[in-house]
Formats: sequence, structure tokens, C-alpha cells
Amino acid sequence: MRKILQRFRGKQLILICTGLFSCILGLTVNGVGMRMAGRLEDQKMAGRWSDDGDVSQISCFFSREAAMTENDLIGFEHELDAALEEASIVNDSENAQARLWADAYSAPGRISISSERATAEVSAIGVGGDFFLFHPMELLEGSYFSGSDLMQDHIVVDEDVAWQLFGSNDVDGQIVTIGGRPHIISGVIRREDGRMAKEAGLSASIAYVSYSTLDELGTNYGLNTYELVMPNPVSGYARTYVAEHIGVDENEVEVVENTTRYSLLSRLKLLAQFGTRSMNGRAIIYPYWENLARGYEDILTLLLVLTLLLLLYPAALFIVLLIRAWKHKTWTVAGVWLFIRDKLERQREKLWALQARRRSAKAAGKEKKEKEKQGKDKKEKQEKEKKEKSIRKDRNKAKKENEEENNEKVE
Amino acid sequence: MDEKKGRRREWVKTAAIIFLSVMLVLTFFSNTIMNYSLPEVAGQNITSGTITSKVRGTGIVESGSLYNVKVTESRKVLSVEVRVGDMVAAGDVICYLAEGDSTELQAEKEKLTELQTAYEKAVDTYNQTLLSSGNLDILQSGGTSLPVTAYQQQVTGALAEVNAQQDVVNELNRQIAELQKKEDTVASAQAKVDSLADQLSVLEDVSSGNAYAEAKRKELTEAQLALANAMADTDGAKKAALEADLKAAQDLLEQKKAALATLQGSIGDIFELNAQYEAIGTAREALAAQNKKIAELEEKAAGGAVTADVAGTITAINVVAGEETSPDNPVAMIQPEGKGYTLSFSVTNQQAQKISVGDPGELVNSWWYSDVTATVASIKPDPSNPNTSKLVTFNLTGSLTAGQSLSLQVGQKSASYDNIVPNSAIREDNNGKFILVVETRNSPLGNRYYATRYDVEVLASDDTQSAISGALYGYEFVITTATKPVEAGQMVRLPD
Repeated sequence: MRKILQRFRGKQLILICTGLFSCILGLTVNGVGMRMAGRLEDQKMAGRWSDDGDVSQISCFFSREAAMTENDLIGFEHELDAALEEASIVNDSENAQARLWADAYSAPGRISISSERATAEVSAIGVGGDFFLFHPMELLEGSYFSGSDLMQDHIVVDEDVAWQLFGSNDVDGQIVTIGGRPHIISGVIRREDGRMAKEAGLSASIAYVSYSTLDELGTNYGLNTYELVMPNPVSGYARTYVAEHIGVDENEVEVVENTTRYSLLSRLKLLAQFGTRSMNGRAIIYPYWENLARGYEDILTLLLVLTLLLLLYPAALFIVLLIRAWKHKTWTVAGVWLFIRDKLERQREKLWALQARRRSAKAAGKEKKEKEKQGKDKKEKQEKEKKEKSIRKDRNKAKKENEEENNEKVE
Repeated sequence: MDEKKGRRREWVKTAAIIFLSVMLVLTFFSNTIMNYSLPEVAGQNITSGTITSKVRGTGIVESGSLYNVKVTESRKVLSVEVRVGDMVAAGDVICYLAEGDSTELQAEKEKLTELQTAYEKAVDTYNQTLLSSGNLDILQSGGTSLPVTAYQQQVTGALAEVNAQQDVVNELNRQIAELQKKEDTVASAQAKVDSLADQLSVLEDVSSGNAYAEAKRKELTEAQLALANAMADTDGAKKAALEADLKAAQDLLEQKKAALATLQGSIGDIFELNAQYEAIGTAREALAAQNKKIAELEEKAAGGAVTADVAGTITAINVVAGEETSPDNPVAMIQPEGKGYTLSFSVTNQQAQKISVGDPGELVNSWWYSDVTATVASIKPDPSNPNTSKLVTFNLTGSLTAGQSLSLQVGQKSASYDNIVPNSAIREDNNGKFILVVETRNSPLGNRYYATRYDVEVLASDDTQSAISGALYGYEFVITTATKPVEAGQMVRLPD
């Protein structure tokens, strides 16, 4: 190490140190960015739905002019089933109840919720399908509800609404009224905090109700989001399918592939759109989770620029040092070739020597074995002779005794 | 030089001590540090018990047999004496009406005037017709002695005479026809005699004493005899007399027909007179009925108070003081005592499968209503959305008021299950539904907890719990919530 350090002059050493530092910093910045993106659970449905990475999460955001209805989406679901069957995409799970895809839709609005204690006028999101599969918020109490539940009169509120209505967070199972109809609080969630979340649309109390409740008993601003997780056998299949079959003019809908939105390629594309990304000709109001995701896209693009700059510096430095080293080289190609040959020869000699040693050791071992074998044979022979001798002795003895007995009888 | 070496050693020693100290601290607290980096999970053990799916809905209580209190005239309301929800007895005053003719009474009076005018016009027309037709005697008798029946008898008599005369004419014609027939028989017999005589004369010229001629002669004799008989029957004088009688009878028939026509012309006038006379009678009757109606309306108007006909609870009052009543709209509605209520709400087809007719319903906020009972009376397709919804109707009894909103729940019979978990424990991915169970493994540093996946099938669910089936013992600790997303196989920590 000291030798290596001695070869560089002071200025070069500083440059190499800064290069290394810049490289580490660049990788760290990239890691921080990825970690920030990884915290957005709303964007990670594909990962939760399948471990194999063969599914994709797609989001559609509609303008009010699109006038989407629940029936339009039911029609789309039926078409999707037929299309997957046609494309021979079937569920290979052992569980017969397993689904190939899941979806959710939502609409913003306002509702008035009343308990025996108080009444709260809050922002509401009317949800349908498996909304909480896509948006696993932190539950403080209770559970979520689903579009497939028998009753669609459940409500999930944030802790702020729970406090306003009951003065407590432990309110799951309590009955509140919306538009004069009783509803059951199924869960209480923690509302995301922070500057980004507030700006994204989580600045005030929020309640999640079924779409039918918002439509019938509240003020419905219109169905504006449809989310889907579905098989993606080839890159871009799911996004293309949804964009082509959702049945809304492309000027009234924005289709986003959540699964790849933070990939390097997507971020480079965003970088290429610098200056034009903010331009919008569609009257689309994003839900808060999409606002957050777009905010993080901007941050990650900025971090990508920083990462590129931080990695560009050591890369440039490396190239410069390489060129300088090439210019001031004290070696020739022939010299290098001889050096390599020499090294190879040495290696070969070492190998031969090793093989020779092994051979001699093997031979010595064989001799020893033979000797041992010979000794063993001799011993066995001796034992055999000894045995035969004793048998013979016994026989003679028996013979003698018989003869004596015969003599006695004769006498 | 030695001093420098000594300093370096000192520095190395210090660094080594610091490094070792840090390592020691990290070793001691490694478990705690690791624990805090793990997601904290909460959950509960799998239990056994019952699951009851309940269907809830909200509807408006309606009366089974509302009594409408109606006022048949449009009159201004002076004051309303009851409020919605008041109990009233039969005869209690509901509201007072202002004095004065109602719109209907005024209209009836105008109609009376019109009827009076029509009556007078009919009398005038009748009298003028009598004058113009010269029936002064009838006019003098007050117009009432119309000879309609006498005229009718005369016409009938004349008609009978015409028919009898026609019969006479027909009989004469028949007799003349018979005589004519006899004359025709004489002519044919004469022709035969002539023919035979001609033939015989020719035969006698050719040969006398011929047998054939003899036969012909005999035949001629028979023909002459027949001719003589026929001529004896005919009587030319009788035919001429009959023809003269026929002519006289026909003339008489024409005279009688003319008389009948005259009579019939006269009776048309009488009938017209009679119709005019009857129109006068009808107009008189209408006038009398209108007078009676007006008398009744005036009698009702004289009271000015609207009363309840049955005892019960006022469920609606449709008028306020100062407004006018309307015969089409009831002034008030009364829920009669002892009559039942109904309530309906729409449910999805899936929800309707959980309900049967006769199921008892429970009130969602039952503490507000102590004596109310509900039973499912019918489940029919919802007229507003017959493909996807059903209308469930309940029969209600108890202290209720029509028009009030009520929330009911009705549930399937409870079913027992061995494995029941909270709804929040059920998760799903493309391999189906599953639960995460906390499994404990021992290690030298204490117990380690791992989240283990168990694939399950959801058998039934209610508002809070789900019954599941799977490879479970029935006492596992299932994860319901976690501070961070938990994946199968991941290490977790339990709350302190």
C-alpha cells in the first residue's frame, strides 16, 4: 500500500481521493433516492401482488369530461378477462380462488359525517374494488373494507376525523350517519404527514367511503382514478392494453405504469422532458398519492442529475489518469508480453514441480503399502500354519486316546 | 525518532481501544438495535365462534292504511287546529274554514241559472209549436193532454185495414188465376180434338175399316169427352165478375194506404211535440237536482269546521291558515289507531340472497326504539332497477310515525366455524388469500419471531370477522396490523 501511495505525487493523490469520495457520494445519493421511492407503498402494488415480477401496476387518471362511471369499468373488467384468456394468460397458482388481476377506482368529494357527539364536514374519497390493496395505509385500529363486501356502508377515517367525532382513535365498530343513513367505522388510519403530503392533498381530515355512499349521500366530484395490477408477459403489454381499451379519448385520460416509473430509464426520460413536463392541456385532477408520486419523480430526477455529475467526475478523472499514465508509460508492449510469458513459465514450472512432488509421494505411498501387504500376508501364513499345527496336534491326541481305549477294551 | 515511534504506537492503541469499545457496545445492544429495525406487529389468536352476515338498509316508515281527511269544496282555511303527531278522536276539529261561498258553490249556482234558462226555453219552444200546429185545445189544456196514444191507435187501425184489404186483393187474384188455368185446359183439349179429327179424316180417305183408324176414332171420342168436361168447368161470366171485384178491391186498397200515410204524417208532428214536452220534464228535473245540490253545499258551508272521522294520529297536514282547500288533495292524513306500518328499502341481489321472508329485522339504533318490531314481508324486484336490485318490505309495529326514517338490519342465521380471524388479517396476492402467522424460533440471543404465510379460503364474513379454512391448528397468532409492510418469511417484533 505504501509502495502504491509512494508512486503518486501529492496532487494526484488528492485528485484520486476526491474522485473516490465523489463516486461514493454519487452512489449514496442514488441509494437515498431509491430508498425515498421505495417508501411509496402506493406505487408498489405489483411487488405485493406477485414475487415473480411478472405483473405490472397501471393507473389511469380521468378528466371530468371523460364522465367515467362504474358501469364503464365493469365493462372493461369483462373485456380484460376475455383478453387474458385469448392471450393464454392463465393463473398457474395452486389456489383455485387466486385472481389474475385486481383493480380499484376512486372519486374525490365531500361528505358530512355525524356522530352523537359532533358533525364533521370532511374531504372524502369514494372507493370501489380493492382500493386498500393498492393503498395500504397504516391502520391504527380496525380493518379496511373492500368493494366485494356484502355491505357497502363501511367507512375508514383518519385519526383527525375520529378525534373530531368521538374524541378517541379507538372507534372501529362505532356507528356514524352520513346523509341520515347509518355507517360503520371499520378502521382508523394514520394520515401521512409532512410538507410533501400536505401539498399533495392531505392537509385536511379525510374519510374513505364506498363509491355508492359518496355518490348517493355526499358531493361526488366525479370518478377520476382507476388502478389495476395485471399480468405483464412482455414489457409494456399491460400499459398498452389499458390505454387502448379503457374507452376514453386519450386527451381525457393519462395512463401511468407505476411499476417502472422510478426506473433509471423512466427518470432519464423525465430528464429529457425537462421544461415541458409541467405543461398540461388536460383537465385532470390527480389524487394525493399521484401528486406525491409526481413530487418524488421530480426529486429523484434532481438526484439523478446530482448522481450523474458525481459519477461523471471520477469517471473523467479515471480517463485523464489513464491517458497520462499511457503517455508517461515506461513499458512497451513487447516488454509486457515477455513479462507475461515469464510469469506463465514460472507458473508452469511451479505446476510441474507440484506434480512431480505428488508423483513421488504417490510412489512412496505405494511401496509402503506393498510392504505392509507383504507383512500382513506373512503374518496370516504363520497364523494359518499355527492353526494347522494345533489341529494336527489335537487329532494325534484324539487318535492316541482312541487307541488307549481300544487297548483297554481288548484287555 | 524513538519518540515519534512511541507517539504512533499511542495513537494506534487509542484507535484500537475506541474500535473495541464501539464493537462491544454494538455487540451488547445488537439485539435491541436489530429489534427496533424490525416491523412491529399486532395481532390475535385464531378463535372459533359464529359468523352472522347482516344486511342493513334505511327507509321511510309508511302507514299501512292512511285515512285521508278531504273537503269537497275549495274554501279558504281560517285556522288549523292540529299538528303532525297529534292524537285525535273521531269528531275532533282539524281546521276551520272561512265563511262565504266556496268556488264550487258559486259554480253550481251559475249552473243552476243555466238550467233555469234552458227550462224556460224548452217551454217556449213547445208552446210555439202547439200554436203553429193549431193544437189550441192542447195549449188550452196546459200542454199536458197530448193525443199521442189515440193517434197511435188510429195508425194501427188504418194499418190493419190496409193489410185486410191487401188480403182481399190477393184472394181475388188467386181465383182469377184458377179460372185462367181452366181456360188453358179447354184450349189444349180443343187442340187435341182438332188434331185427332184431322188425322182420322186422312185415314178414312185412304182405307175404311182399318184397325188403326178405329183406335184413333176411339181416342178422338175420349178427347171430345174431355173437352166437353173442361168446357163445363169454365165460366166466362164468373171470370169477368171476379176481375171487376179485383179492380174495386185494388182501388179500396189504394184509398186505405193513402189514409194510413196521412195518419202517419200527423203522428210525426205529435211525436215532435211529445219530445219537446219530455225535454221540458228533463230540464225541470235537472233544475230540481241542482237546487238540491246547492242546498246541500249551502248546508255544509254553513258549518265551516273540518272534523276527523276516525281516531288516530295526524301524520300530515297539507294546508295552512290562509290557503284554500282543494277537493283533490286531502286536508290532513290520519294514521288510524291499531293499524300497522311498512318500510321498504332496496338491496343488491347478493344481499337479497341472505334474506328470507319472515326473517325478523332489528333496528340499527335499537336503544332509541324500545317496542318496535320488524318482520320481512316481501322481497320483490326493485321497479327502479329490476336487474340488479330487490325491494325488501318490512311489516312494522310499535310506537312509530309515518314519514320517519328508520334503519333496519336483517341477518342470516349464525353459522359456527372453527377458525375465525379479524378481517384485517386477511391479505391477498396473485396466489390467493392468505394470512401471516407469527412463528417463534429459539436462538442464543432469545426468541426470534417470523411472519409465515398460510394460504386460506374465506368461508364467510361479517362486519369485523372472517371464517377461514386452511392448514391451521386453530390457535395460531395472526398478524392484523404492522408498523411497516410485512412480507412472508420476514422477521418481526411483537409489542413490548
